[in-house]
Amino acid sequence: METITEIWVVQLLGRLHPLVVHFPIGLLVVAFFMEMMTLGNKRPGLREGIRWIIYIGAATAALASVLGWFLLNSGGYGGDTTVYHQWSGFATAVLALGVAGLLRRAHRTGRPAAWMQYRALLALCLVGLTVTGHLGASLTHGADYLSSTLPWNQPESQAGELLAAFRTVDADAYSQTQLDRLNLEVRALFAHRCYKCHSTEKHEADLILDSEEGVRAGGESGPILMAGNAAESEIIRRLSLPRDDEEAMPQKGNALTQEEIDLIKLWIDLGAPWADRELQIFPEADLALARPDLPPIQRGFDHPIDRFVNAYFEAQGIRWLKPVDDRAFIRRVYLDAIGLLPTPAQVEAFLQQDNSTKRTRLVENLLADTHNYAQHWLSFWNDLLRNDYSGTGYITGGRKQITPWLYDALLTNRSYDAMVRDLLNPTEASEGFIKGIQWRGVANNSQRIEMQAAQNVSQSLLGVNLKCASCHNSFVSNLTLDQAYGFATVFADTLLEVFRCDKPTGRMSSPAFLYPELGVIEAETVEERLEELADIVVQPANGRLYRTIANRLWDRLLGRGIVMPVDEMDNTPWSQDLLDWMAADLIDHETDLKYLIAQIMTSQAYQLPSVPSAEARDLVARSYRFRGPVRRRLSAEQFADALSQTLGPLYHGVAYDPAGEDLEAQWIWFREKEVDRDVLPKPGTRYFRHRFDLDRRREAMREAQALIAVDQAFVLYVNGERVAEGDDWRVVQRLDLAERLRDGSNVLAVEGENGGRLPNPAGLLFSLRLTFADSSRQMVFSNTDWKTTDQPPEAGWTEHGYDDGAWQPARSYGRFNRSYWGRLVDFRYNPDRDHLPFARASLVTLDPFLKVLGRPTRENVVTRRDDQATLLQALALTNGTFFNQAIADGADRWLVRYGEEPQALVEHLYRNALGRPPSRAEVQASTVLLGETPTPAAVQDLLWAVFMLPDFQLIY
Amino acid sequence: MTTRRDFLKQMRAASLAAMAASIPAASFLSGCRREPRLPATADSVVLLWMAGGMAHTETFDPKRFTPFETGLESKRILSTFPAVPTAVDGLSFSEGLEAIGQVMDRGTIIRSYRAADLGFILHSRHQYHWHTCYEPPQPVQAPHLGAWIAKELGPINPAIPPFIDIGQRFTVGEAEELKAFHTAGFLGSEYGPFLIPDPSSGLESVRPPVGMTAERFERRHELYRDLIEGSPLGEHGSDYQKESLLRSMEQAYRLLRAPEARAFDLGDEPKERYDIYNTGRFGLGCLLARRLVQQGARFISVTTEYEPFLGWDTHENGHTRLVRMKQLIDRPVAQLIKDLDESDHLDRTLIVLASEFSRDMIQEGRPNAGVRDQVEVPDTVQDMKYYGMHRHFTDGCSILLFGGGIKRGFVYGQTADERPCSTIGDPVYIDQIHQTIYHALGIPPETHYEIEGRPFYTTPDGLGGPLLDVFA
Repeated sequence: METITEIWVVQLLGRLHPLVVHFPIGLLVVAFFMEMMTLGNKRPGLREGIRWIIYIGAATAALASVLGWFLLNSGGYGGDTTVYHQWSGFATAVLALGVAGLLRRAHRTGRPAAWMQYRALLALCLVGLTVTGHLGASLTHGADYLSSTLPWNQPESQAGELLAAFRTVDADAYSQTQLDRLNLEVRALFAHRCYKCHSTEKHEADLILDSEEGVRAGGESGPILMAGNAAESEIIRRLSLPRDDEEAMPQKGNALTQEEIDLIKLWIDLGAPWADRELQIFPEADLALARPDLPPIQRGFDHPIDRFVNAYFEAQGIRWLKPVDDRAFIRRVYLDAIGLLPTPAQVEAFLQQDNSTKRTRLVENLLADTHNYAQHWLSFWNDLLRNDYSGTGYITGGRKQITPWLYDALLTNRSYDAMVRDLLNPTEASEGFIKGIQWRGVANNSQRIEMQAAQNVSQSLLGVNLKCASCHNSFVSNLTLDQAYGFATVFADTLLEVFRCDKPTGRMSSPAFLYPELGVIEAETVEERLEELADIVVQPANGRLYRTIANRLWDRLLGRGIVMPVDEMDNTPWSQDLLDWMAADLIDHETDLKYLIAQIMTSQAYQLPSVPSAEARDLVARSYRFRGPVRRRLSAEQFADALSQTLGPLYHGVAYDPAGEDLEAQWIWFREKEVDRDVLPKPGTRYFRHRFDLDRRREAMREAQALIAVDQAFVLYVNGERVAEGDDWRVVQRLDLAERLRDGSNVLAVEGENGGRLPNPAGLLFSLRLTFADSSRQMVFSNTDWKTTDQPPEAGWTEHGYDDGAWQPARSYGRFNRSYWGRLVDFRYNPDRDHLPFARASLVTLDPFLKVLGRPTRENVVTRRDDQATLLQALALTNGTFFNQAIADGADRWLVRYGEEPQALVEHLYRNALGRPPSRAEVQASTVLLGETPTPAAVQDLLWAVFMLPDFQLIY
Repeated sequence: MTTRRDFLKQMRAASLAAMAASIPAASFLSGCRREPRLPATADSVVLLWMAGGMAHTETFDPKRFTPFETGLESKRILSTFPAVPTAVDGLSFSEGLEAIGQVMDRGTIIRSYRAADLGFILHSRHQYHWHTCYEPPQPVQAPHLGAWIAKELGPINPAIPPFIDIGQRFTVGEAEELKAFHTAGFLGSEYGPFLIPDPSSGLESVRPPVGMTAERFERRHELYRDLIEGSPLGEHGSDYQKESLLRSMEQAYRLLRAPEARAFDLGDEPKERYDIYNTGRFGLGCLLARRLVQQGARFISVTTEYEPFLGWDTHENGHTRLVRMKQLIDRPVAQLIKDLDESDHLDRTLIVLASEFSRDMIQEGRPNAGVRDQVEVPDTVQDMKYYGMHRHFTDGCSILLFGGGIKRGFVYGQTADERPCSTIGDPVYIDQIHQTIYHALGIPPETHYEIEGRPFYTTPDGLGGPLLDVFA
């Protein structure tokens, strides 16, 4: 049964609200001005006009408020502004009707008092109109639509912000914390702009700015500041000099900005106070979890998460909106749990089910789909743990993958504490994470691999930024340089010398965990230390670890963490209780990540309608209030996989194959040289030969299965007979060669062609598997034993007896699962469709298409991706060869099925891509384009347009 | 000339009426600017990248010439080419660079660039450092010079992406390392390079897809708009993800339909002019850069392309191979300067020709900070193969600057006339080069963004003032 607001007529009427509201606004304002013109009984001719304008204005005001109510309840709107707009709208409509009534009475009675009352109410009505109109505009255009253009609302620099904060406070009323913060800001300025010359390590002009004594003592030309008197202070004079003055500071680099100078001035004027570094002036989250009590069940919200959210909503005065409908829910939950679109059959089956637990059951079923779950969440963990299949560092062995370990951990849903243990105290399979990326040559000390390990562990697992503190005491947290080095030393097999801003201090560090209250690390060897570290980090007393992952999962599933940014877990959460409860609940359930994911997905909070936000920065703003999931964009992998589902496989093989076959086939080609150096193959035809002997008699052979792929085109001959050809390198041909082989010696010959205009990658990949009656096997692979030439050979080159002595050995481009192409081919004897329905984008090598869609090069930890579309993306999607090829291939498939029935094509396309039937307008527009017998071009254009829709690219 | 503000106006006027009102102020064109802009002497930058390490003594800073003879002592060889006078009195270039020599009256040469001492020579690492001004690895992704410029200034002509990278393919050796600095880093992929590996097919990147007629392209767009309007999701309030998607699609369509896209078509060029430039892909890259600058491009990099052991990366046959490298660059670079000068674009276009470091026959790295030898150099040269500069040298390199407010016919800095031919006056470092480029463009030196709680400046800590001496 549909509620009234689900009827399409009502939805349509609701959407007329923004149109209709302009009538009462225009009419009533005009009426008011005309009414003013009649004051003092002037212009009586206007009277009759005003009367009708008021009547129509009042009627349309009433109509607009009804339509507005429809719109509001069709979903998509929520929040305080909406509520205010709604009530002021109703009030205005009532006022307008009142005005009309009073006007009618005034006309009837003609009494001056009645006219006065009518005019007063009209004026009041105008006020109501203005307020309602403004609120409505705020909903449509964003609350700061007008105010953001005001000069005093432009964003300011950090120094400016701090200055402004100080100016708003009474001069005598600075708190100790504020003075400390001011001092630390000034010291941060010193550090970044002055330490290069004036620090303990390098004290030019005898001036040392990195200690209080140094600052107070001044330099060789005397004190630099007079506490309480900035105007007389040398430092201010020097900083304010014109740049060409010999005494101007800083001498190297650029002048400080006026705001920065003002900040130092203010600090001096306030007596140049010095903060005790030991003071904890930055808020720091408790290590222990609060373990709050569950709030009481109210209004039927019995899910623990909803009980916290309900308490939060009560406190904030936020209304629960109706959860999304089944269609929106199933699309959202499929994409979130396994990263795939639900098929039309899955959608319809879900809609058919009629029981109150079907959503919970769906969540459980999806999370039980282990391979798809692993292949979807792999991207999240690869980003977080800086793991990739190719990238910087691999070239020199300075980097190591953890993919097999990670895949297995996801597949078997290893508990989070076990995963963290494996990462911190690694086996060979998981050591890639703390091993970091080593470039050849000398790296800055703050980037030595032990420091990388400390930084990455801090950021990824503990949600704290150690990057500042690896150069100098942090200015954004309480962390010190010594703490950073202490932590890095845990990962080092020698003691590390502390470097400040890349200069040696002469101090040696001793190993220590960032939060010593959790435990002491004292073992001698690095192996033992890592064991100690793992014990300390995973203990339940370290609430930080579990809070961080709970927050990341919430961020992932609802689009915005409870704490933001997700790597700064010392920031204030919007609900400390909810966050701590989820973290504690995770610990109580054996740190089972799927359990936590299921908890979140089955809550009403997760099922709320997505909340639009006008600007990306609204999400990180301190004023953020949780109202429901944030609207999200499909990730590069989700987008690519959705295309693969709708169009046919986008990728042809994976960089990591969870069910991989251990074939030794190599990509080979003719060795091309230029001035004695190997270069990329030039376009043109190359010839290949390989001779091999059958291990056994041919009668004993049961099977002879060959796989072949060639970039770009090939003809294959076996013993002089032409047996296969191909011109699409992405297609692995599977051939039965049993009839072609003979006893003893056999000859394989391939004519391979490299296309293009410029030298570009080319390769031949071949495997032959012979199975004999006794189940023994013989394998023949493409490798450097193959002979090749670039000279067109004379006739008979494909046959026995041809002398290929002058041909050279082939050059190898590596094993079959490597690719210079960005894409790999599906080179397997037994494609396992259960494990891998198609090459999932999370498993392929980063290529330009995924890159432009936002999959990061994982040289650094990445914990959030950019969800704004960019021009370069739009170009790749509009005229990019890769994408257009995929669409062309897909259009052919759609034509084969629905070439005769354009209506059905549109219907199925919408159900596949968007999980819903098309609207009448959509069918109309699409079928006009397709015509009676759709051409490939028309189908391509329809596919393209559908994939570009916000409905497709966003998760609503 | 079109300003950013004009561009925004055009965009607004042209967009769908419904969208026009909701274009957020922070579109891809308007960076967040906290610092006041400085007066600029240039609007555009063309970086001519000599990838692989170009020996200064064999190109723009010739020393004593020692002709080849069998048995020659390696350490006696400083230059394998004679010096030839240029248009500037007292300034000579190595033989083979006569055309560039003839336009030196319109530019400045810096002869005292010192490349960083990164402990071990690795081309991709030094190129990373040159292009980002930060030594790899970094805890956050450092943006390419072109990405900073794209972010701060946006495009000049909306139909031409603000950061164009011509000539580098990523299918060659050290590809991953090359990709690591060809990015906008933390600035966001929006400011990343628009890649044109092959200049003769540049047009394909800015036209409707191959095989699609203009009518069909329009029809497809109309369908798209109809479907957006037909969607029942329709006005679910506006959100930035959706707005940015619609906006970027509109922009892509505008760009792909823009008449200026003809600038990408080298086939439009008169044959005799085309032939002057056509010394190979690099030469055609210069031609494409010229056409794009004339239509309003912001930052273009044209590279001889880095491929290990090829191009300027001479580990052997240095002399022979440099004859070819000089032929590759001499005519097109000179013609680029002349053409831009004639069309009055040179005054507002800064052209920079540079390489990640230099080469020497004997010294690897720099004096007193030598690094491990990677190349075998015999004591005496018995074979032409060993005649040339095969080791990597970081202590003195040449950089050419033209246009964009730069002095004409000016020489800055000096290297020693005897080995090691190190910088002996006015050393210049990479942060100064970056700040000089930013200065010409009016980008304030203190430009920075907060990233992960820390300020990240265009050059480390905002240091390295511009070389004011090279400005006219």
